Amino acid sequence: MKKSLKTLIVLLVLTALLVPVFAQGGTESTAKPVVSDQPVTINLWYGAAITEAGPPPDDWAGFKVIKDKLNIDLKLTALPSNESDQDVKVQAAGAANNLPDLFMVRRETMLRLIKQGLLAPVDDLYAKMPNRTAKHYDSASKNNTTINGHSYGFADPGSIAKNEGLLIRKDWLDKLGLKVPATLDELYNVMVAFTTQDPDGNGKNDTYGYGAFQEINTYEEWPGRRLEPIFGAFGVEGTWNMTTANAGLNVLKPEFYDAMVFLKKIQDAGVIDPNWLAYKKDDFRAAWKQGRFGIMREQNAAYAATANYAPFDKNFPTGEWIVIDPPKGASGKRSVGPYTANFRIYSISAKAAKEGKADKIAQLLEWMSSDEGYYLLGWGTEGVNYTKGSDGIPVAANLPNPDLAFSAPGGQTVTQLRNMVFYNGDVELGSRYPTYKTATSGKTMSALIVMRDMQSRDWTTQIGADMLPVPNADLKRFYEQGLSEFITGKRTLTKENWNNWIEDFKKQGGQAWNDAGVAYAKENNLLN
Amino acid sequence: MRKTRNVVVRPSGADRSFNIVVDVFLWLILVVIAVPLWSTITLSFRPNDYIGTNLEGMFLPVWKWSTAAYKALLGNNGFLMAFLNSVKILVAGVATALLLTIPLAYVLSIRSLPGRKVLAWLVIVPYVFNVGMIPSYLLVTGLGLQDHLAAVYLPVAVSTYNCLIMRSFFEGIPTELKESARIDGASEMQVLLRVVLPLSKAIILTIGLFYGVSFWNDFFHAMLYLNSNDLQPLPILLRNILMASGMNEYVEVNAFGDAPVSAIKAASVFMSAIPMVMAYPFIQKYFTKGTLLGSVKG
Repeated sequence: MKKSLKTLIVLLVLTALLVPVFAQGGTESTAKPVVSDQPVTINLWYGAAITEAGPPPDDWAGFKVIKDKLNIDLKLTALPSNESDQDVKVQAAGAANNLPDLFMVRRETMLRLIKQGLLAPVDDLYAKMPNRTAKHYDSASKNNTTINGHSYGFADPGSIAKNEGLLIRKDWLDKLGLKVPATLDELYNVMVAFTTQDPDGNGKNDTYGYGAFQEINTYEEWPGRRLEPIFGAFGVEGTWNMTTANAGLNVLKPEFYDAMVFLKKIQDAGVIDPNWLAYKKDDFRAAWKQGRFGIMREQNAAYAATANYAPFDKNFPTGEWIVIDPPKGASGKRSVGPYTANFRIYSISAKAAKEGKADKIAQLLEWMSSDEGYYLLGWGTEGVNYTKGSDGIPVAANLPNPDLAFSAPGGQTVTQLRNMVFYNGDVELGSRYPTYKTATSGKTMSALIVMRDMQSRDWTTQIGADMLPVPNADLKRFYEQGLSEFITGKRTLTKENWNNWIEDFKKQGGQAWNDAGVAYAKENNLLN
Repeated sequence: MRKTRNVVVRPSGADRSFNIVVDVFLWLILVVIAVPLWSTITLSFRPNDYIGTNLEGMFLPVWKWSTAAYKALLGNNGFLMAFLNSVKILVAGVATALLLTIPLAYVLSIRSLPGRKVLAWLVIVPYVFNVGMIPSYLLVTGLGLQDHLAAVYLPVAVSTYNCLIMRSFFEGIPTELKESARIDGASEMQVLLRVVLPLSKAIILTIGLFYGVSFWNDFFHAMLYLNSNDLQPLPILLRNILMASGMNEYVEVNAFGDAPVSAIKAASVFMSAIPMVMAYPFIQKYFTKGTLLGSVKG
């Protein structure tokens, strides 16, 4: 009895250990070669344009067109909305050799999959989709996915670059008889005036010069992009200096200390909204709409798009923001901030290439960039989800069912793939940011004109800065905490204290981070 | 006849001080729990034209609240489908989990079972040394479970922790009861069904609740194994809604209508919590009893 029980248990354990082995093998053996007269199934894991909306419905016109014209049976799966979840899903599928044919992938994950031999090189496919390549893929984009001389993905244009700007309340300037500040000193004087001279005329001491909040990302460390116009006046905007002559972490440059001194000065003078260290994005945006401060760096649509501008227009019908140049520092430097080119990478699995699907995928992507694919994926069906205005730009007007308009909730599912076709061209921008009249004051507004104005200002090119190594969590905390403590007064900002802190920062790993970043930038020709 | 006297014991100064400390501590805990909850509730009723900070919004008068976010969610097919999928996972998951855990726990509780220790080790070892995500993924996909709701609950249908609690509970049931049933000719299955289970309502409901909460909230397995959009459960949709970083910031579109995105996020969090919150009061009395009994070895 005991012997047979032991045998049974051993068998059970062995079976449990062997099942995963066969599971993997099964996936491999079921791969079938493409049969030319049968529709080719392409599994696409896409990044949803609107995460909370569902996928294209089963009767979406795109499925039929793609099957009829390209002989492709397109199967869609929306990737998780969070990037780390996307990584988990893609990497788990990769480990099981179960990657879809075409899928969106983050660059870091792409690098791992390349090492594992799970991605197909796509160099030859660019020539097979000339229209799409001309619109979507320039040298920077190809460089982004090129490893060891081969491109392993299509890097489509991501969000619009340089779409933020330094804005100032013109009505406040006029009321106080001030001119638009051009230098850092003038900007400081305007901040003081906005804080102390009751620019809104309500008789209360309730306004501040500058408004901000801490908003950081991999290439804009603390204090973040809202204060970049100030740091730009010292030539230390962004985390990195990406010039050949002076490459390295900006925090290690002497000018960074000068910028910190200026920031400390406006903090101590109380001319920056003191809540900036506590504000979240929504709080910051609520604050400028309530007329709490008169200078800020803001995104074009967050400022000027219809719904976003409406509360400000209602509160201050005579209020007016204008885009201005960032202030010049003592050395003549100025910048709204750094900008980089971000991409959405779509890769083809080695498995799909092995099954002969690569050319079909190129055919699909090229069709997406044709007029038919561009409008269908970008705005839906003409006459149902959009109509074309006299200038050929899609508008949500004259539709039989306005709820299905591409800009209405009902129209979101049919445009979930729009990020695969948009390339920030004039048509999509014109459609996204139409000119309109505000409800209360009747002002003519256009987030597009505002964006063009913002883009025309001085920016600092830092393409590739977001590809540089990032600090580990401890170093990042040390960096952010140390800088904020200097501003809040927890540490006294003197040259000696600063130098001591910098030495500590270097010892904590800051020097190694700097060296690794510079080496990577040089190796990958990212320096300007 | 001797008269009884009510003796009132006056609390000493030390007792009163201690009570005050306890009261303050409990109030603090209440505040820590209630403030975020109130913040979420008020945020979910925030009207679209509201401007102000979150702190100010917590004191917005009720007559200025808007139910747009709830109307938008309840009118959205995607939300209802996700809710239904979560309910399916919950019901099937709890049933499967209990169906597998109860017999296993019962078998492990029989002290005379040959090889009991080996079996117990087989249950405990994977609990301590987890095989990791990739082997599990290979197993689930290899078994053809990918894109089935079962992939969310079947791989985690037996929780070692829950199984051990249940085993301890079963071990606490007097052996004489089981023995008398066996003497009367009952098989082991009859002993389990007719003797053990009727005495184990508390632990079954408690463990069922544990499983229910874990299945209801399970985001990871659904994210990993479900590709079909029609199968996405509530946690996935909830995550997608929470990740919607202010759509109207860029295109002024919000897939749920006129309500502000932040209100939609808060409303979806609140609504997804409701079923579990509603379940607790009904199971609470068993919950305390079940966990306490299960934790004591007899």
